[in-house]
Amino acid sequence: MRLELGKIKINNVQFGEKTEVVKGTLYVNKDEIIKLVLEDDRIISADVELARPGESVRIAPVKDVIEPRVKVSGGGEMFPGSINKVRQVGSGRTHALVGAAVVTCGRIVGFQEGLIDMSGPAAKYTPFSETNNICVVIEPAKGIETHDYEAAGRIAGLKVAAYIGEAGRNTEPDEVVVYETKPILEQVNEYPGLPKIGYVHMLQSQGLLHDTYYYGVDAKLMVPTFMYPTEIMDGAIVSGNCVAPCDKVTTFHHLNNPVIEDLYKRHGKDLNFIGVILTNENVFLADKERSSDMTAKLCEFLGLDGVLITEEGYGNPDTDLMMNCKKVSQKGVKVVLITDEFPGRDGKSQSLADAVEEGDALVSCGNGNVIINFPPMEKVIGTLDFIETMIGGYEGSLKPDGSIEAELQIVIASTIANGYNKLAAKGY
Amino acid sequence: MNYLKDGTYTDVLKKTRDLIHSNYKLLTHPMSGSLKPNQTPYKSVIVTEGCGRIDYESVILIENSMDAAYKFLKFKKTPLWTEKILNDFKTVDLSLIENVIKNPMFNAI
Amino acid sequence: MDIISLPQKDIKEGTMEKIKVIHYINQFFAQIGGEEKADIEPMLKEGIVGPGIALKSGLGEDYEIAATVICGDTYFGGNIEKATKTIIEMIRPYKPDLFVAGPAFNAGRYGVACGAIAKAVEKEFNIPVITGMYKENPGADMFKKDIYIIETANSAADMRKAMPKICKLAKKLVNGEEILSPSEEGYLERGIRVNYFNEKRGSDRAVDLILKKVAGEPYETEYPMPVFDRVPPNPAVKDISKVKVAVVTSGGIVPQGNPDRIESSSATKYGIYDITGLNSMTKDKFMTVHGGYDRTFVLENPNLVVPLDVLREMEKEGEIGELANYFIATTGTGTSVGNAKAFGEQFSKKLVADGVGAVILTST
Repeated sequence: MRLELGKIKINNVQFGEKTEVVKGTLYVNKDEIIKLVLEDDRIISADVELARPGESVRIAPVKDVIEPRVKVSGGGEMFPGSINKVRQVGSGRTHALVGAAVVTCGRIVGFQEGLIDMSGPAAKYTPFSETNNICVVIEPAKGIETHDYEAAGRIAGLKVAAYIGEAGRNTEPDEVVVYETKPILEQVNEYPGLPKIGYVHMLQSQGLLHDTYYYGVDAKLMVPTFMYPTEIMDGAIVSGNCVAPCDKVTTFHHLNNPVIEDLYKRHGKDLNFIGVILTNENVFLADKERSSDMTAKLCEFLGLDGVLITEEGYGNPDTDLMMNCKKVSQKGVKVVLITDEFPGRDGKSQSLADAVEEGDALVSCGNGNVIINFPPMEKVIGTLDFIETMIGGYEGSLKPDGSIEAELQIVIASTIANGYNKLAAKGY
Repeated sequence: MNYLKDGTYTDVLKKTRDLIHSNYKLLTHPMSGSLKPNQTPYKSVIVTEGCGRIDYESVILIENSMDAAYKFLKFKKTPLWTEKILNDFKTVDLSLIENVIKNPMFNAI
Repeated sequence: MDIISLPQKDIKEGTMEKIKVIHYINQFFAQIGGEEKADIEPMLKEGIVGPGIALKSGLGEDYEIAATVICGDTYFGGNIEKATKTIIEMIRPYKPDLFVAGPAFNAGRYGVACGAIAKAVEKEFNIPVITGMYKENPGADMFKKDIYIIETANSAADMRKAMPKICKLAKKLVNGEEILSPSEEGYLERGIRVNYFNEKRGSDRAVDLILKKVAGEPYETEYPMPVFDRVPPNPAVKDISKVKVAVVTSGGIVPQGNPDRIESSSATKYGIYDITGLNSMTKDKFMTVHGGYDRTFVLENPNLVVPLDVLREMEKEGEIGELANYFIATTGTGTSVGNAKAFGEQFSKKLVADGVGAVILTST
């Protein structure tokens, strides 16, 4: 598959009569967005607010973050199987509004969701302090069931991102990057002297608020499969996961998967990027056995020399991570793991919930348990009511003056276990 | 089914461990979900009567889970949540287990 | 007439106020004696003793060694709580600013004592503490998370190199300076995970790492997996009623009087003790020397650690084939993995030669 990704650089966002991009500024029509969201009668009210880098704004509680994109050509539409037809994506041309993000906020449950600070000491921990955010604050209809509200919120975010993405359809991109992965035999033969590297992408799949979707299929119901790396850039994978804000893989992060990007950067230079193996993190132990066996089988079948493995979550997924590491290594394929750590507030406890001796090459995404202090912000989008019940928060976290003392876990994507950030931990 | 009405998260893990020491085998991961041990008061684990001997992997899993639980609880106790939030935790815990029970392979065991 | 006035704080009995240091050493470094003096109780001497000279020299003229605490390694190991309390009260009146223990190099009991007392002093007085040990010293594993332990070589011949490193880090601690990584400062990695921002993002570093690994080049992980020293168990005994069974314990059970002088911690030996004709472990014949648990119950009834009474019954009932007429004992606490392995390798030969088919390991 060959995809041209046209990057339209956005450096400001404003409300406007028409949703369009003019010289780097994204204008959005507030009423149209609200109308779109309220098409789903599971949602009783919605509002849209804007947050720009450097502003004194705090956004909480955050559900998902999505980059506005549009499929210009090549078949299929953005977020196939979730909001659009389920046709194959990953080829042709897609435009992305880089520097803009749709942030859905609102309470699904009284915990889990996290926060984004647009300035101040907490800002450096999240990539979304650097994007121009269109925050969609949604309120569920009374008495609707949690599963329904989660689905409604997820769909709303995707619809808004696709709607805004349309503004990029006829805009000339500032930069076009071409990504290409050929069918296996061709790909192997294209760079015969280079090591064949693959990416094992573990998808969160444990249940309510812990789900991920591939072309609309619940990852929990999948068996490991092969994906062309470019499919992810068109929204083939969508997040239904609102747990542990710090390592939540937002839909934005799926679209901008850093492992895929960094492997492509060196593709043809010092490595041959063969493709992506998708697998899951089910709770049922028998499923884990099956998935890790199949993942190892696929790695061997594709003739890979080495793989990078990323995970989402902590605890149960650590077991999958280690099973995959062990079984893939046993097939003679070299493994590097990428994950975040939870060694307790003093940094002295075990960082991971599981371990295998084959896990001898690991990249750290930081310690999520450290306490950080950050000052109040002038404006709050959403509400601070849930800070103390958010993971990372505790009684007394929210001070009377609006400042917060909490574990780093509370900041969206601060320790995301796919290597997107520069935050890491080392041993002292 | 064992419902520890007044039990805590760690009580569930301890009971699971005791059963594992009596040859029971784990069918689900004791640390399912990203709700940390010092957050949710609810935890469900499925075990099955084993085949007359200790299942080594279950032992390792439950011990690791207990270690992790103590590590989190050491720094912060589980808060006393409101009714609404308790319901949220119950809903998520149910979902994690429900999906396993619905799995066709589960009934084959 | 010249009047030179000194700032008020410097006038203290006519001298500049120096930073007060307490030094802790064992009977050997205090030149009191060797193993035979390892049971001496804690004592305090004003000023410098033994290697304190090197310590003072390394710290410089702003520091003074107010006093040196000397304690026998065996005494400390066998009376950790009591010795610690005594020493804390001994040094309290000095109002120390810094506490330095050892360095202990590879001496196990000394290392454990240094670690334990340093940890206790820090907790009690909230002052910087520091020591030095060889990385395989059992005290290193036990205390590296709690206190700074400078890495030394495995013998006292390293004193000339070790002491300056200890002094350098000690001064930083006293001055509240930022402590850098283990490799920069020379201390044993404490296993504390600390966040920092790398120049490159994680995925980028991961690509570098996989290419090194695939090419067979040396690579370094950012998080070392916990070490598993797993020993695969032998297959289960098919019929224990036909097998000769022996007891091996790390619970420190020895004959009264501890004739082989097995240490109460960081054991360097094991003993083989006869139980022919005995139906129970009685307190007149046996005792425990283990320094790592409350000995009260076991001193009263050693069967709690070596279950001779139950095993004799089982032997009579034919549930086990036969009980070996000896048991093997050492002390587990603080004993180095290396030593434990060596003991096992040695005495298992005897067990096999004597036809023992299964061993019950009791620990505490």
